[in-house]
Amino acid sequence: MTGKGASGIAPASSELKHAGATRREGRRLIDQWWQELSAADAEARPVANVFVMGSIAEVLRAFDIPMSFPEIAALQTAIRGKSMDYLLAAEDQGYSPDICAYVKVDVGLHVTGREHPHGRLPKPSLVVSTNMCNTYIKWSEIWERMYGCPLFVLDIPGWRGTGFEYGVNGGSFRSDCAYVQGQLRELIVMCEQVTGRAFDVDRLREVMGEVNRMSEMYREILAENKNRPAPFNSLTEGVVHMGVANAYRGHPEGSRFMEAARDELRERVHAGIGPIPDERFRLLFVGPACYTNFRRFVEMFEEWGAVFVAAEYASYGGGGLDRGIHYDLARPIESLAEQILLSSQTSFSGIFHSHQWQTGVVRDWSVDGICFHGVKSCRTTSTGLPDAREWLMRNENIPGLFIQSDLVDARLWAEAQLKNRIDAFFESLQGRKASARR
Amino acid sequence: MLVAGVDVGSTQTKGVVIDDDRRILGRGITDTGARLAEAGDAAFRLALEGAGVARDDVDFVIGTGYGRFRVEFGDAQVTEISCHARGAAHLFPRTRTVLDVGGQDTKAIKVGKGGEVLDFCMNDKCSAGTGRFLSAASDALEIPLGELGALALTARNPVNVTTTCTVFAESEILGWLARGRRTEDVVMGVHQAIAARSFSLLARVGVEPELTFTGGVARNQAMVALIGELTDLRVNASEDTHYCGAVGAALYALDRLLVGAPAAGEGSALR
Repeated sequence: MTGKGASGIAPASSELKHAGATRREGRRLIDQWWQELSAADAEARPVANVFVMGSIAEVLRAFDIPMSFPEIAALQTAIRGKSMDYLLAAEDQGYSPDICAYVKVDVGLHVTGREHPHGRLPKPSLVVSTNMCNTYIKWSEIWERMYGCPLFVLDIPGWRGTGFEYGVNGGSFRSDCAYVQGQLRELIVMCEQVTGRAFDVDRLREVMGEVNRMSEMYREILAENKNRPAPFNSLTEGVVHMGVANAYRGHPEGSRFMEAARDELRERVHAGIGPIPDERFRLLFVGPACYTNFRRFVEMFEEWGAVFVAAEYASYGGGGLDRGIHYDLARPIESLAEQILLSSQTSFSGIFHSHQWQTGVVRDWSVDGICFHGVKSCRTTSTGLPDAREWLMRNENIPGLFIQSDLVDARLWAEAQLKNRIDAFFESLQGRKASARR
Repeated sequence: MLVAGVDVGSTQTKGVVIDDDRRILGRGITDTGARLAEAGDAAFRLALEGAGVARDDVDFVIGTGYGRFRVEFGDAQVTEISCHARGAAHLFPRTRTVLDVGGQDTKAIKVGKGGEVLDFCMNDKCSAGTGRFLSAASDALEIPLGELGALALTARNPVNVTTTCTVFAESEILGWLARGRRTEDVVMGVHQAIAARSFSLLARVGVEPELTFTGGVARNQAMVALIGELTDLRVNASEDTHYCGAVGAALYALDRLLVGAPAAGEGSALR
C-alpha cells in the first residue's frame, strides 16, 4: 500500500498509528467466531444457522445463540481454494450443476463430516430463514431434514410495484409492520424453547443499541471512500468489514472493530494513502464477488489503476447497516420490525430500482464506471444486471462493464475471456477520459 | 514510416503492414494452432513479404487478439474489441456498429465517429453463435467451411436448429439429415441460429447505421445476407474486414508514432 501525503512523501506504514488494524483485528475476530462455533458444537450447545440477508441477529444475540452463516462459510472455502472439494461432494449426491453453488458447498461440508478450513462447522439447533432470497427456504429445509431442527421462516412482505416510495408513511407499512412483529414474537418463543432461557427485553435493547452504533460506523467507513485517493478497496477490504458486520452484529466487539477500521481509514485519507500507488479509475462494483480467484480478479482491475470505491455488495451483504439503522430502544420489537421491512425493500426491489441507487453512488463517490458482475449460479443477484447497465449507459452516460464468473464454482472462471472484456472496458474508459481532457 | 498490427485470434492469425498514409501494403494470414508466438511471427512475416519490406523497416507493432501477449516482437497490446472498432471505422468511415464473428467470440460493438468503442457486448462463455458453430456443421456434413454460405443461400425450407451447444449441434444436424431434410436446408438452419444469436448481441448495444461485419465469418455470404435482413440494414463487408483487428492494431501503432499518443491498451500490465 503506497501513496503520498500532503508533503508529497509517502509515509512509512510504521508511522501510522492505526496501520493494519482492520486486517489484524478482522482476522482475530473471524478466528474467534469460528472457535466459538466449533466449541458450541463440541459442547452440544445450541447454534443457529442464519443467512446474511435477514439474519435477525438482534433476537438471536439477545439469547446468546451463536450464529453460523453458511454463505460466509462457503465463500471462505473458496478463498482457501477448497470449495470444489465440497461442491463436487454435493454433486455426487445428485445436486445439479445449475443450482446455487453456496448451497452445494454447504451440503458438501455437511455430508463430508463438517470439517471446514477455519474449524468445525456446527450442527444447527435452529434455522432462521427469510424470503429475501428464493433459495433460502429450500436450503433451510435440507438442514431441517438432515438434523431434525426447528425451522423459522420470516415472511417479509415485498414491494415490487413501480415508483419506489415504500417507507414508514407508505400505504401498507403499518399493517406489514404488525405482521412482521407477530412473527418476531413467534421467533422469541422458539428461542426460549431452544435455549431454555426466558426472553430479556433489556438484553435485546443492549444488542440493538450496539447495532445502532455499528451502523453509524459502517456508514462512515463507506463514506471515507468519497476521498481521492479512496483509502480502501470495497471488494477486498470491504469483505472484511462485511464479515465482521454479520458475525458480530449487535456485539460490542463488532462496534469497536468498525470504529478502529474507520480510524485507520481516516488516517490513510490524511496521509493520502490508497490501496494502489496511482488511482486512475474509480469504479462501483455491482453483484457478488468471485471468491475462487478473488485476488486475481481484483488484480485485473488494479493493473489499470482502478479501485472499487463502492460496492452494492456492501449494502445487501451488510444487512442494511449502510442505510443507517436507528432503532428506537423504547419500542424494540416494533422498531426491529420496521427496520427489517425498510432494509429488505432495497433487496426485494433491487431488480427494478437498483439503477437509481447506482446513479446516486456514481455522483457521490465520483465514479468513472460500473463493473456489473453476474454470478452464474445465483440468479437472485444477477438477474437484471445487463438491463441496469444498458439503462445507465443510455440515460446517464455512465460506462458499464458486464462480466460473469461465480462465487465459489471454479469451473465458471475463464481468465482469458474476463481479461479481454476488462481490458477493452478500460481502453474505452481511457479514451473517454482523453476526450474529456481535450 | 511503416507500422504493423498482428491479430492472434482463436482460429486464425492475421497481420498487416500499413504506411503513414494508412494504406494497407501487405497482409498475412495463418492458422493459429497451439503455438501462438509462432503463428504471430508467421502472419507478420507474410504481411512483410506482401508489402515487400523487411522486418527492420517496421517502426512499431501492436499485438491484438486473445494471443496478443504472445506477439513477442510487439511494442504494445490492445484488445481486439478496440482494434475491430478502429479498423472498421477506417475501412468504412461511417461505421457506427460493428459485428465481429470470429472463431470463438461474437462481439457487437457500438462505435464513435473516430472509431472509439462506446459500448460492447460479447457472447457468454459458450461458442454457440460463433464461427465454431459453422465449423461443427462443416465437419458433420463433410462440406468445406468456405462452401457453406453459398450452399445455404440455395435453401428453400430451412430447419429450425434449436440447440444452444456447439457440440450437441453436430448430433442435431445429423438428426435432421436422418429425417430426410435436404442438406442446404440444414445448413441454412445453422446459419439462422448463428444470425439470431448475433442479432441479440447487436440489439443490446443498439444497432445504428452503418453496420460493418468483421471477422472470419464476414466472408460467408449467407451470414452477411441474414444479418442484413435481421437489422434491415445494408451490411458493410469486404475481403479486408477479415483483417479488421490487425488493421485497427496497425492504426493504433501509427497513432503512437505520429502523435505520441499512448495506444489505447498501454497502461495495462503486460501479462
